[in-house]
Amino acid sequence: MNALLRALSAEALKLRGTLALWMCVIAPATVAALYMLQMVVMDYDKRPTMPPDEAWKMYAQAVLALWTILMLPLFVTLEAALLAGLEHANQQWKHLLALPLKRSAHYLAKSLALTGLVALSMLVLCLLIPAGGWLLDVLQPRFGIGGPPPMRFILSHAGIAFGAALLMVALQGWIALRWRSFTIAVASGMTATVVGYLVGQSERFGHWYPWSMALQTMATEPKHLDFVLVAGIGGGLVVTALAAWECARRDVA
Amino acid sequence: MLAIQTHGLTRHYPGGHGVDELELAVPAGAVYGFLGPNGAGKTTTIRLLLGLLRADRGSIRLHDLPLDRGHRGALARVGALVESPSLYPHLSGRQNLEVTRRLLAAPPSRIDEVLDITGMAGAAARKVRDYSLGMRQRLAIALALLNQPRLLVLDEPGNGLDPAGILDMRRLLRTLATDHGITVFVSSHQLGEIEQVASHVGVLHAGRLRFQGTMAELRARSRPRLHLRCDDPMRARLLLAAAGEQVDHAGDDGLAVALQSRPESELNRLLVEAGLAVSHLVREQASLESLFFDVTGHAGVAA
Repeated sequence: MNALLRALSAEALKLRGTLALWMCVIAPATVAALYMLQMVVMDYDKRPTMPPDEAWKMYAQAVLALWTILMLPLFVTLEAALLAGLEHANQQWKHLLALPLKRSAHYLAKSLALTGLVALSMLVLCLLIPAGGWLLDVLQPRFGIGGPPPMRFILSHAGIAFGAALLMVALQGWIALRWRSFTIAVASGMTATVVGYLVGQSERFGHWYPWSMALQTMATEPKHLDFVLVAGIGGGLVVTALAAWECARRDVA
Repeated sequence: MLAIQTHGLTRHYPGGHGVDELELAVPAGAVYGFLGPNGAGKTTTIRLLLGLLRADRGSIRLHDLPLDRGHRGALARVGALVESPSLYPHLSGRQNLEVTRRLLAAPPSRIDEVLDITGMAGAAARKVRDYSLGMRQRLAIALALLNQPRLLVLDEPGNGLDPAGILDMRRLLRTLATDHGITVFVSSHQLGEIEQVASHVGVLHAGRLRFQGTMAELRARSRPRLHLRCDDPMRARLLLAAAGEQVDHAGDDGLAVALQSRPESELNRLLVEAGLAVSHLVREQASLESLFFDVTGHAGVAA
């Protein structure tokens, strides 16, 4: 545990000033801004008026859905590739793995750093949703937002989506760390995202596919919420443990 | 006490490359030059010594502690630079050191110490992306010194350096060995470099250790040669051969004599008393380069 904490502390320092850290703000801000812009220019003549608290929830859920469907898998792909690239680019593994530290500590720290960045981005999104809502109310009062933002609703939905995304995070992190090529990491993530967009709409298969598990939590009446949460968290832990074991045995050629 | 000891260390790659049955014995406190042409297996050996590769068979002991995937404690006092420096360009030199310091749980004061040793204190605040290759090499050695190593393993540290950088690196290696008592295991294909700094040498060729010993022992493997010129080389050659000397032509009417029991003064007298006019007489010690080719050219000369 001590070795893991030391490795985590080193990871925090490595992230200083990196695009990977900036993306935790840029990605959620892009989603929040895009949806707000869409709502500002929308035609409100055909839209029924809704109570302020309903408008808040509709707005929050729409931003979270846009994030979960499209931006989250792409964000995880990019973050995993950027984090792994820190070590691949200058052949850091031969330095890190020659240190008298458990090899698995390096992998687990990197994996936790990736998970932490995803959590941070979702926290930023949770803070940008009310900020965007208030701005939307100023720019487009016909949207109907009013009163305090439904923070419990926002945080609980984001938290559940985060849990369901953990298997995807673990898999994408393993791919990026296992193979030195940035192209492999990004191409696999983009392909899996596109497949996830299609598979995620399937009643039968949507909840089985790691890249669309988080999407399942956004359904109005989610049928597979428990399954995707258990599979996301449990699967994420299993994949991370197996990948750390594999990393500890791997030769650094 | 041996800093590095391997027994039957073997690692093969598909295609036949790798190392075979290495019996390294690096004395503590030595500067051990690990020589070999490109592709001889130097980097493979170093990666095995650092636990980066698993051996097919054989064992490694560092300061008498076993090293394998289950026992990495032997690396606690080992610093390493494998091929190119492994640095984070977006961080400063000091931050790069801090990353490794955190991993090693070394005291913060150690960063200033290694910056002083490597002469990098003045550039510590600059981003590594602005460093020259020589500065990067120095910072990589500073990283390797963070855990107060008793053994420093350096893989081709002079690669890519200009002459001034090579001179600096040579000075640094000497300082580390003499002032800090660190055993330095340094690989190179640059024979002159090793000759300048090493007290011991191992010669690797095609994955096998062809020679291992002190520099003096390596030199002792070859007798000095006498180069001479005179007015009648043909007659001189016959005279010397008749006296039991081993003589070769050395171009430009010169002769080369492998010195045996007779000193050069006696050979000179022999020629002069026979009426020959000797115009040039030079005793030549075998260069490390010629010894190296001698050692790697004959498989049967392994020590």
